[in-house]
Amino acid sequence: MAWARESDFSDLKEPFKTLEVVENKGTTSLHVRKEELLNLLKVLKEKKGYKLFLDHSVVDLKDILEKDKDFKNAVAESIIAFPEDRVSRFQAFYILFNVDEKKRVVVKTRTKETLPSAEKLWFACKWAERECYDMFGIKYEGHENLVRAFMWETYPYFPLRKDFPLEGFPEEELPSLNEVIKGDKLQGTMNYERKHTFIPTLEDLEITERKRLQKKAQIVLNWGPLHPGTHGTMWFLFDLEGERIVQTDVILGQLHRGVEKLAENEMYNQFLVYTDRMDYLSALCSNQAWVVAVERMLGIEEYVPEKAKYIRTMLSELQRINSHLLWLGTYALDLGALTVFLYCFKEREKIMDILEGITGARLTISYPRVGGVRMDLPLGALEAIKSFTGRFLKELRDWERILTRNRIWLKRNKGVGVIPPEEAYFYGVTGPVIRGSGIPYDVRKIDPYDAYAEVEFDIPVGEEGDCYDRYLVRIEEMKQSVRIVEQCVKKLEKLPESAPFFAEVPKEKKIKLSMDGIGLKVPTSEIYSSGENPRGELGFYVFSIGAIKPYRVKVRPPSFYNLSVYPYLMKNRVIADAVTILASIDPVVGETDR
Amino acid sequence: MVKKLKVKPLSWLERILFLDFIKGLSVTIKHAFSKTITTHYPYEKLTPPKRFRGFFAHKVVDGNEPQPAYDEWVERFKIEVIPGRSRCVVCMLCKRACPVPQLFQIEGKKLENGKRVVSVFNMNLMLCTFCGFCVDACPVDCLYQTDIHETASFTRKDAILDLELLEKIGRDWQSRREEEPDRLWSDDVERNKLWYENNLKLKKSEKKGRHEW
Amino acid sequence: MESVALNLAVAFVKILVILGIVLGVGAYLTWVERKVAAHIQRRPGPMVVGWHGLLQPLADGLKLITKEDLFPRYGNRFLYNLAIVLALVPATLVFAVIPFGPEFEVFGYKIKPILTDVNVALLLVFGLGSLAVYAVALAGWASNSKYPLIGSMRKAGIIISYEVAITFAVMGPIILAGTLSTYQIVVNQIEQKLWYVWIQPVAFVVYMFSLLAETGRVPFDIQEAEAELVTGFTVEYGGMKFGIFPLVEWYIEVLSLSAIAVVLFFGGWSPLNIPFLGFVDPLFFLGPLSPFVWFLLKVTALFLFILWLHWTLPRYRIDQITEMAWKIMLPLALANIVFTAVIAPLIWK
Repeated sequence: MAWARESDFSDLKEPFKTLEVVENKGTTSLHVRKEELLNLLKVLKEKKGYKLFLDHSVVDLKDILEKDKDFKNAVAESIIAFPEDRVSRFQAFYILFNVDEKKRVVVKTRTKETLPSAEKLWFACKWAERECYDMFGIKYEGHENLVRAFMWETYPYFPLRKDFPLEGFPEEELPSLNEVIKGDKLQGTMNYERKHTFIPTLEDLEITERKRLQKKAQIVLNWGPLHPGTHGTMWFLFDLEGERIVQTDVILGQLHRGVEKLAENEMYNQFLVYTDRMDYLSALCSNQAWVVAVERMLGIEEYVPEKAKYIRTMLSELQRINSHLLWLGTYALDLGALTVFLYCFKEREKIMDILEGITGARLTISYPRVGGVRMDLPLGALEAIKSFTGRFLKELRDWERILTRNRIWLKRNKGVGVIPPEEAYFYGVTGPVIRGSGIPYDVRKIDPYDAYAEVEFDIPVGEEGDCYDRYLVRIEEMKQSVRIVEQCVKKLEKLPESAPFFAEVPKEKKIKLSMDGIGLKVPTSEIYSSGENPRGELGFYVFSIGAIKPYRVKVRPPSFYNLSVYPYLMKNRVIADAVTILASIDPVVGETDR
Repeated sequence: MVKKLKVKPLSWLERILFLDFIKGLSVTIKHAFSKTITTHYPYEKLTPPKRFRGFFAHKVVDGNEPQPAYDEWVERFKIEVIPGRSRCVVCMLCKRACPVPQLFQIEGKKLENGKRVVSVFNMNLMLCTFCGFCVDACPVDCLYQTDIHETASFTRKDAILDLELLEKIGRDWQSRREEEPDRLWSDDVERNKLWYENNLKLKKSEKKGRHEW
Repeated sequence: MESVALNLAVAFVKILVILGIVLGVGAYLTWVERKVAAHIQRRPGPMVVGWHGLLQPLADGLKLITKEDLFPRYGNRFLYNLAIVLALVPATLVFAVIPFGPEFEVFGYKIKPILTDVNVALLLVFGLGSLAVYAVALAGWASNSKYPLIGSMRKAGIIISYEVAITFAVMGPIILAGTLSTYQIVVNQIEQKLWYVWIQPVAFVVYMFSLLAETGRVPFDIQEAEAELVTGFTVEYGGMKFGIFPLVEWYIEVLSLSAIAVVLFFGGWSPLNIPFLGFVDPLFFLGPLSPFVWFLLKVTALFLFILWLHWTLPRYRIDQITEMAWKIMLPLALANIVFTAVIAPLIWK
């Protein structure tokens, strides 16, 4: 990945007294004091061209600061900003992307409790700040409406802090889970009665809702949490004037499972299972992004055999088609074209069959491993894939005949939900959404992982940035994916059957890489590595202190930031457009909430 | 590299003659007179592929153990090998590899002759993510996942697999499918209902597969 | 005195026959629709209850009737129930003026297969059609819920817009036939040896669009729009009360308006038409039954066509629908009237 170089920021040393530039193996970071943070971000955005906001979150350094050994290691690898400050327990980081020069930078700062809000610079940051407030209790000065992102307002804890009680709260009980049918009581670890956690009451939810949106117009329509148009459990509040929407807000968190907290308590390979359950429609792409991130941290990317790389690339492209098919089906369903849905599912079922035959699971795939893949391709896999891609384009043409130039389809999509390029940066959208706005931002090209550097494909971009362009972009992406899959199949057919599918790491590396991933120690380092998911850039910011478990994992969920543009797009639109725009953004709740 | 997408607007002729509708209608009518592709579920069932990650099972001692790994582990843990019973050597590697280790409850007991044997092996599938890490971890090819996918039950208790059940499922699977080659899927009529339009004929294989990939 | 009693008896029998056919067929049309939809989508559709699911409508009805009768808190119970009646009655009443075939004789007694051959039949049809808006509006209002309210407002907007368009669209055939009586319109078409669709294609297109809009079929099914409004104004109805709305809207109304379309544009019970030359009847071997079969065939074909559209097209947005009604359909219909008025004398001879 092209990370920014130290020399890029030599002119900033002058105005920013406390600025330090650190070049690490995986990242380049700018360390700056809290007081100068906002100015630096502003300069980076407006003068330096770091326009696209990727991610912002916080690392709770409490455990490191308390342990001298860890602290020394971390300082030696310079992954902590301002190590002389041993009191401020939070380290905030902002990851930005330079659009013109195609490089990233991390801005870091330290704080005890408060941070200045960067919501004026990037709207996406506003949402990220809400999340940090929710998870770490960081107060943002100047934030317009600092409410919790996922938990309800009256929830008393900050889950991602290191002192969050993992064992639960013995005095709290989950009534529905503790309900015991007679004779169904089990002893020891098999006893499910030990689930002690908080659940919100109706009053809590009401308080949460009240905090969100000040009613301006006639009625507030609760669109969700369970509604067929929201594609999951999202809760939208529409303030309606007739059928026109005056303002919108989103309440997330109905599917929040604390994946990031789980990551801190799982080994590197085991966390793979949870990446399945984030973006459950493209589990394999998420798996791949995570595995690549860990491989990069270990420095074994080049040892991963060619076969494994091609298999991963091929399957994740199949998964991309799979995911886009579900999107196309539900998109058409939302706009009333009921039949396309089942045509898409027909083809999707074939992909599922192939994936099931190769990996053993249809949805939660967990097939890639750090260092390769779980097992070799079975007999007949390539034939099946070839016969699928051979017919798929024909089917795709059929569906395009129904939709692409249908006058109703055009009327419903053209000019609806327009995202101009500048707004795309402002809201931090990625994936097909930003490409629909005409910006060729694709991680597969910018930061090629696995075999993407070796295969040919185009990046489709739209012109207007409306729903129709996003539709076209996704349709074209499927065609490009077919192209990639065909190239991979060709390559894999040439490779001998006995070629290795798992990394043979040289002994002197002393990394215990095993199939089960037990004791996979990752050196003290940090990395931001991302993969191109069907929904956008899925990034993993991993902060390691040389243990078998990561110290902090921040997932950059593409759907979450893509969704942040939704209230802006919904202004002065009718409810019928709500489904169009939402479906064209295509969020997956498993990922927005994690 | 970068591909700009554009679609030409509807012409007046297309608008007046409803050609766009007619195109769409022609596609749907074509499908309406094609064969249906569905499997009529409770009455017809697909055979899952051999690699399917379904319910767990224990392979039993039947002379096909992976050698020399099995003898080494038996030696190391002083395990009493009983033909027809589980191959488990109580190494706990499955529990170690599991993302949710609480779901395993494994205990061994000492026999009178000083050797050990597995006595308790409970898996609480309510907590299981069916990721297959434990299967990868098993050094003696004992624990593995079968093609049983209808896992619904009326009580939570039924979601717990104990040693006897694991062995029973294992024996059943070994007699049904262990000899099958490691193919993408086994041909069956139901799957062909979907795939017939792709004209796919998977190659037959003479190789007899075991569960070691 | 005798003839009055006889007339009453005949009318009574007619009512029974029509009601039986309409409601029975209406229920079975759900099965037809499910089968058509399924095959378009490469599924077999209902297959379990009876041979190829033939008993499915009965099973559905049984299920709906035995369901719990829920009522929203703070709703208006009287209006809530009235809405169902107001939906069912006008839709069924339309069949009173639909001629199923030519006059025939039984025991020397002449019977017209139409309940009442009034001379303002078409007026009655559209008057009753407009009544549907009350059912929808009341259902939405009485439910005391936001989604039904929005759904019913949408539907009311559509009906009001398209009532105008549809009325002007049927003006063409009325001018050509010179009468409002449905029976007479068919007779005139047969006499003029002309299906009016040949010279009224514009009116027919407008009529079809309005038909889809009034019955809430795709591309105008926005009052239901399950992705946006769950099921629109029927959200708060349960059991058979819920079942009646789609039954009325999607089947009985579609059926009645298709029948009117056949009467107005396809010469009712007349066989295939060669414009200005005469009729060709490939079903001549059916003898006196042939006209009835023709009528049935035409209505079925139209109904299947509507289903085919329903399962192919996406749906419009509410503002686009009303915009289309006032900006495109209405001017087209008006132009068509002018056009018809010019050429009508040629047809009249």
